[in-house]
Amino acid sequence: MKKLAEVLRNWEAVIGLEVHTELTMLETKMFCGCRLSHDDEPNANVCPICLGMPGALPVPNEKAIESIVMAGIATNCEVMRQSMFYRKHYFYPDMAKNFQTTQGPVAFVMHGHLDLEVTGNGAKERPDGTIEKAADGSYIAPIRILRIHMEEDAAKMVHVGGAEGRIGGASESLIDYNRCGTPLVELVTEPDLRTPEEARLFMEKLRQTFLTLGISDCSLENGSMRCDGNISLRRRGETAFGTKTEMKNINSFKSLHDALEYEICRQAEVLEEGGIVYQETRHWEPSRRRTVVMRVKETADDYRMYPDPDLAPFDLSDEFIERCRARVPELPDAKRDRYVSAFGLKRADAAQIAGDPKIASFFEEAAAAVKGKVVPTVANVVVNLLPGRSVTAGQAASLATLLAGDAITFAQAREVLDIVEGTEADPEKVVDERGMRQSTDTGALEGIVDEVLGRCTDQVAQYRSGNKKVLGFLVGQCMKASKGTGNPKLFNQLLAQKLED
Amino acid sequence: MPSFDTLSAAQIAAGIAAGDFSATEVARAALDAIDARDDGTRAFLQVSEDLALAAAAQTDKAYAAGDTLPPLAGVPVAFKDNMNLLGTRTTCASRMLEPYQSAYTATCVQRLLDAGATPMGKLNMDEFAFGSTTDSSAFHPTNNPWDTARVPGGSSGGSAAAVAAGEVTIALGSDTGGSIRQPASLCGVVGMKPTYGAVSRYGVVAFGSSLDQVGPFGRRVEDVALAMNALTAGGHDRFDSTSQNCEQDYLAHLNDSIEGRAVGVIPALLEAEGLDAEVKAALQQAADRLADAGARIVEVDLPNMANSIAAYYVLAPCEAFSNLARFDGVRYGYQEPDCATLAEQSSLSRAHGFGAEAKRRQMLGAYLLSSGVYDKYYLAAQKVRTLITADYQRAFQQVDAILMPASPTVAWEHGAISDPAALYLADIYTISNNIAGNCGISVPVCLGEQSGLPVGAQLQGPAFADASLLTFARALERACQMEGTVAPSFAGKGGEL
Repeated sequence: MKKLAEVLRNWEAVIGLEVHTELTMLETKMFCGCRLSHDDEPNANVCPICLGMPGALPVPNEKAIESIVMAGIATNCEVMRQSMFYRKHYFYPDMAKNFQTTQGPVAFVMHGHLDLEVTGNGAKERPDGTIEKAADGSYIAPIRILRIHMEEDAAKMVHVGGAEGRIGGASESLIDYNRCGTPLVELVTEPDLRTPEEARLFMEKLRQTFLTLGISDCSLENGSMRCDGNISLRRRGETAFGTKTEMKNINSFKSLHDALEYEICRQAEVLEEGGIVYQETRHWEPSRRRTVVMRVKETADDYRMYPDPDLAPFDLSDEFIERCRARVPELPDAKRDRYVSAFGLKRADAAQIAGDPKIASFFEEAAAAVKGKVVPTVANVVVNLLPGRSVTAGQAASLATLLAGDAITFAQAREVLDIVEGTEADPEKVVDERGMRQSTDTGALEGIVDEVLGRCTDQVAQYRSGNKKVLGFLVGQCMKASKGTGNPKLFNQLLAQKLED
Repeated sequence: MPSFDTLSAAQIAAGIAAGDFSATEVARAALDAIDARDDGTRAFLQVSEDLALAAAAQTDKAYAAGDTLPPLAGVPVAFKDNMNLLGTRTTCASRMLEPYQSAYTATCVQRLLDAGATPMGKLNMDEFAFGSTTDSSAFHPTNNPWDTARVPGGSSGGSAAAVAAGEVTIALGSDTGGSIRQPASLCGVVGMKPTYGAVSRYGVVAFGSSLDQVGPFGRRVEDVALAMNALTAGGHDRFDSTSQNCEQDYLAHLNDSIEGRAVGVIPALLEAEGLDAEVKAALQQAADRLADAGARIVEVDLPNMANSIAAYYVLAPCEAFSNLARFDGVRYGYQEPDCATLAEQSSLSRAHGFGAEAKRRQMLGAYLLSSGVYDKYYLAAQKVRTLITADYQRAFQQVDAILMPASPTVAWEHGAISDPAALYLADIYTISNNIAGNCGISVPVCLGEQSGLPVGAQLQGPAFADASLLTFARALERACQMEGTVAPSFAGKGGEL
């Protein structure tokens, strides 16, 4: 198969996403009072309503509707005051009533957009000339959102006795109704995405947004956030859509990117060989890095959708909508911009911190405990040293202060972290107790520098003839001579100064 | 003492409160009456003797403790078998649910129990409430207590027959297109379909969710009003998002005068083809009696009523198809044995679990909701619904209630009408009320001169005017002197207190 870059020169990939997100942060299910938890014993959280027992009726979860309206506001959607629930019929045991309660033509929120900042190598996937790019190759891709609607999740089926838990060859199918009735929001984009990277970024941004709203734990791995990709190709310059395929089993951002990349290349190969792309659902196999056919859609399914007569039509009040709006916190983009302008953070660091509400609040707590000029170092610590570690914001602040004052090196900071992680120890005390504090006494350091320059004449000559890389070696010699107590940054400065003289 | 069937609900509760007799004695009398009479009516599907005696014992304990007794203390009641009651099966008179044990108690049932009523059991019905004869019950037909060769009407035929034969004092039924008012008319009892939303539907197996409404049967308007008090006590049911707070004292204005108030009649309806001369005469008599009581009789028109049957037989099957989709033999109910695949199990369980009418309505609904057909029928029917609702709104600007038949005929013999379409057409007087969500009540007027069978008149009122409707019903009852009548061949048979 051809490579993506080559394919996209001749073909335009048209990608749309359908993203299902479970509102895991709610306490109860969509239409009953059952506890929302998938970790309990199978079928522990069930009642006549979510089991579809005769005579049971649904009552909508107000908090779920608050959540979806917040999601809509955060993605620049219009809040549709009047909408309804519909019944979507299909016979399968994972849906206790044999219909799913979902929404019809009008969803709670519609017609929004997210603007993606595509930078770095990812931006190169989009051929030049197909969108306006900045000097550094980055570009903004505005992605329209068609709608976000509310529905209920189905039960989880476990097929036993077959291969890989698939139904084919299974001897038994077990049903866990704990998940049945979980509030689920489905976001549908317009087919505005053009590269796998854009799709990946969209999902990432959506995840960051929903995490910030606090409406879901958004775990692709555990399936609380699920993404289906629809993709078709058309020759550059054409306006009609090609036949699309739908991709399932995407459980990581990388899978999303790689599955789309594979599928674009596969469709291009089929089309270039004069073949036909069939409208079908394909399954991504991460281990074999390919998509395989799940099922072919020969006819459109007839779900016999009609308005659910058990659920009165909604007419959301101004007060309700304003309450939702007030509950939308500062979103990742605004937070990033604030970090850059207020704290002088690097844009990339700011974006990374702002993208995760837990990290952002940790950062803000640590930043509040240090002097203003140390804040960028806090960001540096948070982004580069802390991932995977468990320390307090106070410890991070202390560490950043030490680093900013050149009292320890980055390498030493890691050592300090090893010591304080999981304890309440103050990094500053640890550094002092262990004599790790580096000397910033220029006079003492100057002596060492002179001694090193005196004996490393070869390197000095090399430096002066243009090989500036030897500076690193000389800094190392100084560090060694100071038994690690000298500040490498200062050594660097002093050495450079003396060598240039 | 005579049979308990001579007493009103209030008299039973008062007798217990006064120590004249105990709730247990009343329950035993009712069990005795059921024993003596139900062979003739076959109104019951299950008699819940244990639950009845336990509830009665509870009431007697409260009496012994000197507690103030609730308003329906010790009153024998029974429930249409589409209402869940813990400790009973809820079968909907279908093989599909024959083994189904109620997993919880319906709100309407619970509210009667909370009011102190004694639950005697579950009553026969047309399968899943599809019908107007009770002959489509998968288990057995129910007989009209006035002539056991005849149908009691339906679908709440068991409820109407049990009350008419004096087996219980009050029964609950459900009315999707006339299923309370028509059997009440055919059995000579009072049957009320309250405003949509007045009574919670939670725990009542759904047929047509936008049309279904639970209501009481009694031999007196007063008993029905007392039941309405209990059914609406506590107001909105948080388990039914379509329920409304209709809590009030429905007895308060029961005996108010209707002097000067307006009752509408629709002359064209009384000239309609297929209307029995006896029914027509009874309606004329009812109008005269209401006029005698001081009401102004005003001619009104519901121009779109003729389309109500067409609209109803689109909307109701669509909702029925959807509501009955859950019965697939996977989790409960009838399960076809020895199936190789899920699809086979589901389809054979449904093929063998449902009767002919249940299948007919579901197939119809499945077709009407399918893509390409939906707009033509379902959407069109919803538009008709809007027109009918508007017709009523206009009419109720002129009048407080509208008088019309509940059924075009008196009770017919079992099997006399076999064409489903003919049965559908007989719903003409009742279904527009469900379509508009208004309230309606059938009150016995007289016995037909030829047939000797009871004839009822229906009064309809605007939504949420249930108390006012009961005032008109009481005025009609007072004038017609049918109050408290038990079908003669059953009256006093067993049930001595």
